[in-house]
Amino acid sequence: MKKTVMAAFCTLLFLSVISAGAAPKSEDYYSVYSGELTTLNYLVTPSENEHSVIANIVDGLVEYDRYGVLVPSLATDWDNSPDGLKWTFTIRKGVKWVDNNGHDYADVTAQDWVDAAKYLFDKKNASLTADVAYSVVKNAKAYFEGKITDFSQVGVKAIDKYTLQYTLEKPVPYFLSMLTYVCFLPVNGKFLAETGTRFGTDNRTVLYNGAYVLQTFEPQVGRTLVRNDKYWDKEHVYIKRLIFKYNKEAGTLGPELFLRGEISSVTIPSSLIDSWMKDPAKKAIVRPAETTMYTYFYAFNFNPTFDAQYEPDNWKIVVNNKNFRESIFHALDRRAAMLTSEPYAPERRLHNTITPRNFVNAGGKDYVNMDDLAKYSKTDSFNKTLALDFKAKAKAELAGKAKFPVKIMMPYNAGSSDWTNRAQVVEQQLESLLGSDYIDIIPVSFPATGFLGATRRKGNYAIQECNWGPDYADPETYTDPFVAGSNYNWPEKATGYVQANGKGAYENMVSQAKAEVVNIAKRYELFAKAEAYFIGEAFVIPYAIGGGGFEASKLEPFSYPFAPFGMSILKYKGQTVMQKPLSTDGYNKLKATWEDEREEALKKSKY
Amino acid sequence: MTKYILKRLGQSLVTLFIVVSVVFLLMRLLPVEGYFGDGYDKLTPEQRTAALQRMGLLDPWYVQLGRFYFNMLKGDLGTSIIYRRDVPVVEIIAPRIPYSFYFGVAATVLALIVGLSLGIAMARKKGRAADKVGTGYIVLINAVPSAVYLLFIQLYLTSLFSLPLLFDRYQFRSWILPTISLSLGGTAGYAMWIRRYMVDELNKDYIKLAMSKGLSEKKIMVRHVMRNAFVPMAQYLPAAILSTISGSIYIESLYSIPGMGGLLVDVIQRQDNPMVQALVLIFSSVGIIGLFLGDILMAIFDPRIKLVKGEGAR
Repeated sequence: MKKTVMAAFCTLLFLSVISAGAAPKSEDYYSVYSGELTTLNYLVTPSENEHSVIANIVDGLVEYDRYGVLVPSLATDWDNSPDGLKWTFTIRKGVKWVDNNGHDYADVTAQDWVDAAKYLFDKKNASLTADVAYSVVKNAKAYFEGKITDFSQVGVKAIDKYTLQYTLEKPVPYFLSMLTYVCFLPVNGKFLAETGTRFGTDNRTVLYNGAYVLQTFEPQVGRTLVRNDKYWDKEHVYIKRLIFKYNKEAGTLGPELFLRGEISSVTIPSSLIDSWMKDPAKKAIVRPAETTMYTYFYAFNFNPTFDAQYEPDNWKIVVNNKNFRESIFHALDRRAAMLTSEPYAPERRLHNTITPRNFVNAGGKDYVNMDDLAKYSKTDSFNKTLALDFKAKAKAELAGKAKFPVKIMMPYNAGSSDWTNRAQVVEQQLESLLGSDYIDIIPVSFPATGFLGATRRKGNYAIQECNWGPDYADPETYTDPFVAGSNYNWPEKATGYVQANGKGAYENMVSQAKAEVVNIAKRYELFAKAEAYFIGEAFVIPYAIGGGGFEASKLEPFSYPFAPFGMSILKYKGQTVMQKPLSTDGYNKLKATWEDEREEALKKSKY
Repeated sequence: MTKYILKRLGQSLVTLFIVVSVVFLLMRLLPVEGYFGDGYDKLTPEQRTAALQRMGLLDPWYVQLGRFYFNMLKGDLGTSIIYRRDVPVVEIIAPRIPYSFYFGVAATVLALIVGLSLGIAMARKKGRAADKVGTGYIVLINAVPSAVYLLFIQLYLTSLFSLPLLFDRYQFRSWILPTISLSLGGTAGYAMWIRRYMVDELNKDYIKLAMSKGLSEKKIMVRHVMRNAFVPMAQYLPAAILSTISGSIYIESLYSIPGMGGLLVDVIQRQDNPMVQALVLIFSSVGIIGLFLGDILMAIFDPRIKLVKGEGAR
């Protein structure tokens, strides 16, 4: 009886602790990595490898929460002027810059963003992310190009110690999302001057205001991040230490290290996934890895510069025939292609639009479900009947004008075994469906080094698998590869699409969408219309989104910030390391709950 | 000898100048976009120009080359432009050399001891079990891709002997497998080499004469066969030891050893010119010094060899 009473008491005590909102407990996090940091100078580097550390050591004005809603970070609140040009931020008081030993250096103030901008827009520093900021901040581009030399004319001002104001060239509806990117992070001007060109070269030459401090950093050995005790939001940082060990063969050794309990999470390479899935013990600790906002598509090239042996003149004729493009568009079995990298769950990565789902929404409605785009987002482009119908039409229209079979030069990166296999699959699949009397797909291998320079960028392809990642949280970012001046597939050179103003129909639709800066729902609908048009005219074949695959991990999923763009998604803040890795079933249950909660959160969101 | 050393020194400096200058110019022929990696597409033309200006790549090639040699004479090899932006190349390279050198020397010594012993045993027991086992080992090491057996050794031997999977400089046990792995190729090479020369020597007339004169087998082996067989090896030994500072690409990668292995390949791929130039300078110097020392060592081992003209020079 006594035991029963004691057990009940303990249970009640435990429940009361839980209900009182005790902070989740977490183990330390261990990992291996194969790509060493090239710099910690967050004002110059565009590399996600570096951002994965920077996101955890320096905070910006705003950040995303776990549902993808923008929330205050070092700005406690903000205000946008009625004309949409001036953004005024109130900076959080009492936030400290600390050194790598956690010692106070200075307070974070509004001037830190001005000093960062001054460094960023100074051409001498050759920042590779400056363009993201100077594309919107007033006079920043002119300052960068040396057309003006007085920095006070640039649209970044510290109104007082804790009030910061950005003035933009034009209203930018997605400006808040841009603030989660590295080029809008603050820097302490005095420290920057003290360190000079050594700023960001190691863990002692940066200051920290984020959730973690890079306590040790030894290139090609490892790094340790420890929780920043002076962090303004430290009650939401649960993992005390993040310990990373360098190993160039991390991709090969990672699974073994995870099985030996030496690391906390690992991506399972596609070459191993089969053996893991067949082993019940291993299968129980495997779960799907998150997909990313990278988009993959097969592009038709309207500006072929490839070698005469692949008959570029003939390609120019056929690629300008919509029925020919549609025949390929509907003939490509994307699932078969995806099996080369995702043998267990190809559907998770297959995608029917250029812009990924969950990228942006208006009033809770996902962008890919807007306007005409909804038709494509819900339909698999692979359709044998349609493919053969379009083939018949194309052959009839091109008879006497083009030579069959059409030689289709399709480069692939020989450094990627998945891509190499996929090139063979696509060749066999398309030729088998459409007939080798119609097309002759010619996969051509190129080395990994300088791959894009040798292929896509100079138009050295007929059809090529391409990708693109977003620069800000707005569908405009996914139009960048296809507007005039880009070097993807030159749709502006397609015949039959030029309108009265001398520009292509797609470009005009995009311009119309860009001009809508007040009504976000309308803006998204216009972009959705343009994207639907672009897909409908078969300028590209949407293929997939990035990431995916499988992982074994003790990190609790959906506890970290979710973001379509920027660095928030790279933060360990809010995460916990569980005692055991989660199974796929466990993951799916958490995901379903998270999706429901997210839908509600997005409906309530102001931004 | 002094004349010889001065002459070789002069030749070495000319060789070094040619090698470094050619590599310097070749690096300038690489595509500009290589300096920007995957981010190239997202940069504006102004940003690309600013970045190239900062890297000093917009000046004419002869200005760049002159600047490199001028700074080099002042002891300044420049700063990394990509691999670790703004960090002096000396600071990047210097801490890595000792790791590769320690492992390299330890593995070379181990390979010499085991390889020479094995080769001598094989030569002495030609056609018998020891010879066959040794031949099997040599064939295995040379025929099977090293990536396969090195990974096998790492995954299974660490489990079997409870050794760490990754290198930790503070843990002596983590030094064992990389050293053994690194010595395997050298062991096979030295064994094959010494066996071949000893078998050749054993078939020569002077050995038959010595045998017929009743000299003991031990004396014949040590004083004649091994000494003569070792002479051709002696030439390459200094270069082999010195070149260990270039590290082992795969073994250092597998065990997370922060050495020089693969560094040159990495920086060439990333087009980090100052790093490439510094490494080429170091590796070329080491190669030249190694060959030079090899010549001297050979002259010491074999009195018949003279290094100066008119004295029966080679």
